[in-house]
Amino acid sequence: MTMEQAQQVKTTAVKGTDTAREIRGLVKNIYKSAHEAKARGQKIAYFMVASQYDEVVRAMDVVPLPTENYAGLCAAKRDMDRFLLKAEADGYSQVLCSYARIGLGFDSMRRELGHIPEGSPDGGMPAPDMMLGSSAVCDPRFKWYQAARRYLDVPTFGMDVVFPPPQADLNEVRDYYIRYQRDQLQALIDFLEVQTGKKMDPEKLWECIRLGDKAWQLWYDIDRLRVAVPCPMPSQDHFSIMVPGHYYSGTQTAVDFYQKLYDEVKYKTDNKIGVIPDEKYRILYGGGLPPWHTLWIFNYFESFGAVFVIENVYRGFDPVEVPAHVKDPVDYLAWRAFLRYTAYHEKARANSGIPTVEKLLEMIDDYKIDGVVFHACRSCRATTIGQVHMKNELGKYSDLPMMQLVSDMVDLRDYSEAQWKAQIGAFTEALQARKKV
Amino acid sequence: MTAMQKIEDIYNNRGSRARSLRDEGHKIIGYFCCFVPDEIITALGLVPYRIQGSQTEPIDEADALLEPMACPFARSCFNMALKDEYDFLDGFVAPHSCDTIERLYHIWHTNKPSPFNHLINVPHMLGPSSDEFYKNELLYFTRRLEEFAGRKLDLERLKEAIRLYNRRRALLRELYGLRKENPPRVTGAEITKTLVAGMGIPATEHIELITGLIAEVKERPAAASDGLPRIFLWGNEIDDSSFIELVEECGAHVVMDDLCTGSRFFWQDVDETEDPFDGLVRRYLDIHCPRTLKPQAGAREDDLENRFGYIRRFIEDWEAAGAIFYIVRYCDTCELEGPDLKEYLNGLNLPVLMIEDDYSTSTMGQLRTRIQAFLEMIM
Ligand code: SF4
Ligand code: SF4
Repeated sequence: MTMEQAQQVKTTAVKGTDTAREIRGLVKNIYKSAHEAKARGQKIAYFMVASQYDEVVRAMDVVPLPTENYAGLCAAKRDMDRFLLKAEADGYSQVLCSYARIGLGFDSMRRELGHIPEGSPDGGMPAPDMMLGSSAVCDPRFKWYQAARRYLDVPTFGMDVVFPPPQADLNEVRDYYIRYQRDQLQALIDFLEVQTGKKMDPEKLWECIRLGDKAWQLWYDIDRLRVAVPCPMPSQDHFSIMVPGHYYSGTQTAVDFYQKLYDEVKYKTDNKIGVIPDEKYRILYGGGLPPWHTLWIFNYFESFGAVFVIENVYRGFDPVEVPAHVKDPVDYLAWRAFLRYTAYHEKARANSGIPTVEKLLEMIDDYKIDGVVFHACRSCRATTIGQVHMKNELGKYSDLPMMQLVSDMVDLRDYSEAQWKAQIGAFTEALQARKKV
Repeated sequence: MTAMQKIEDIYNNRGSRARSLRDEGHKIIGYFCCFVPDEIITALGLVPYRIQGSQTEPIDEADALLEPMACPFARSCFNMALKDEYDFLDGFVAPHSCDTIERLYHIWHTNKPSPFNHLINVPHMLGPSSDEFYKNELLYFTRRLEEFAGRKLDLERLKEAIRLYNRRRALLRELYGLRKENPPRVTGAEITKTLVAGMGIPATEHIELITGLIAEVKERPAAASDGLPRIFLWGNEIDDSSFIELVEECGAHVVMDDLCTGSRFFWQDVDETEDPFDGLVRRYLDIHCPRTLKPQAGAREDDLENRFGYIRRFIEDWEAAGAIFYIVRYCDTCELEGPDLKEYLNGLNLPVLMIEDDYSTSTMGQLRTRIQAFLEMIM
């Protein structure tokens, strides 16, 4: 193997916890279960993470197939180019969301070949029975599945997810926002009932919600342990362990996983076992999707004594308290979504005006942060636009060194290792200079 | 001065009428895209102003505050605001039309706040619950705007405003009807200037100009048939005539469009419903913009027909021989819609040229060869 090839295959990062190493199996199982379900005749659905509908899909016994995760997986395996190029050959822009490009390219190839492309990571995705888009997070997440119908003529549904801007008077808008969210969830349920020929069982939905909330509570508790110095679990673990929270939400598997991880992180905290022996700087991952193609970069930071201790991505919400008068599970989901999205609105109105800035300021404080790093992805408008703004506004309340790295979540053509190393070098010098004073 | 000269004048000095109205004591409410009802703003005695960018000015100051991979139209608008070119706005309203506009709303609001700032959530999905939600958003917007204007909305005045804008819509459709002639006596570039000029002046004044223009066009001598191809344009924001001029210079007639700055923003009337908000809701949610997801209608072929049938009718009625897509780069919804529409139009045997561009006149030279080659092919 030449040097260059050695560099090419090294994508993943060394993990901090043992439990995180189990994720590989859980990821493989996502695709394996989909293949098995298909063989059994159980319905499988293309699915968008964090759409606020996870528990509904689980309660309807529909097997979720997360296309975004698949794109990230292809990047981590450095097997994305053939799919990206295929989508581009089919007329999709080179600047379109690269997750969508990989998904569309994969679907296009699978249709053309009549089978899953040879050697696809983790056995590839079987053709779904339906596609469930959503407007949560970004526009591509509902447009993509509409476009995918070019290759997959299956029933497709889009669910709206809305929340008010921070300036809104919540007392004035709360009812109709929640009502709309409820109606959207109900429309999804109606759709799934037609597709599966089964009625939604409210008891089962409650059970999935209970499991979903339990898993997210444990995940939150784990993150709270990470305030400890030295940090017991780094961000590279977070980017793995988000898998159960997003792809197994509403199942016992997720709960069991986080319980085990909690126990390990608690043990490390109690025994002051850090990620690296000499933790000099504690870094906040301020936002943006991770660079799946180059996760080892987090270990590179560690070689300077800098550990990423907490992050503002994937666990987008802390647990919320839905009022006790809410007795219907669909109402509950609508309320929960509203409360999650508006959790920092009041604080924002009282201070910076920007909910994310409030959240980051809290993290900086709680986690004793020394510097903030953002990751801009060229093809992801939704998670990138506003980072510079956050950085600017955060700078009004904090004097920490901050930096924005730019590449893409999967498309390597947007990444320059030399430039990143230079930027990281300058950043660590700033960290050092600040520590000295 | 002819009506066309007056239009050119306003087109070339876009904010000037709004500035003078402001000097007279009027309040100007700036907004983005096609989803904010002019009718509500007008009925409250305020002047709506559709914010536009500039394809000729380079984007410089915005880069320190907004990522370069945001839609260049949005960046250009913000760049102009930073340079105080929008200092005549009393209000800034953004609909949640796309990710970029929603993010930009917050950035703009922090860095260049207007006395009145508001974000309207616009459903991406369609259906009864979306109607109800959007109606509530419009009512909430109206209440905030009432506070700002210092007066209550009179429903009769709102109905009057609806009739006023419907009159403008009817006139614009009449003007578009004149483009059915072969060759048309009004150019695509003239149409764009007429529409863009109208976005920055009161509807009553725009109506006068369109009426004058229609009369002028009718008086122009009919040209002999020149055999040049008739082109249909599809895309998002073209608020500068230079691209259309380029297509026409290359030897074509731009005869019909589906653009946010073209037929998309005025084609449908608002129904005069008993509760005027019901008519507004229906009309504004039904705008054919790729950012709105049309619920799936049957198998692929039927679904495409359901999504794009109106374009087929445009193409048949205006006898277009080819379609050019102009997509502002980084507009995800257009980029995902384009290949579907291309497939549909190809299915109708209509050749398509898909262009993705930076919303800048500096790239026009590079586009010329591609357009020429396309026109030669369909001749
Ligand atoms: S959030 Fe970004 S990466 Fe994810 S689907 Fe949307 S545009 Fe693509
Ligand atoms: S052109 Fe597209 S990305 Fe730009 S503002 Fe319009 S909808 Fe948004």
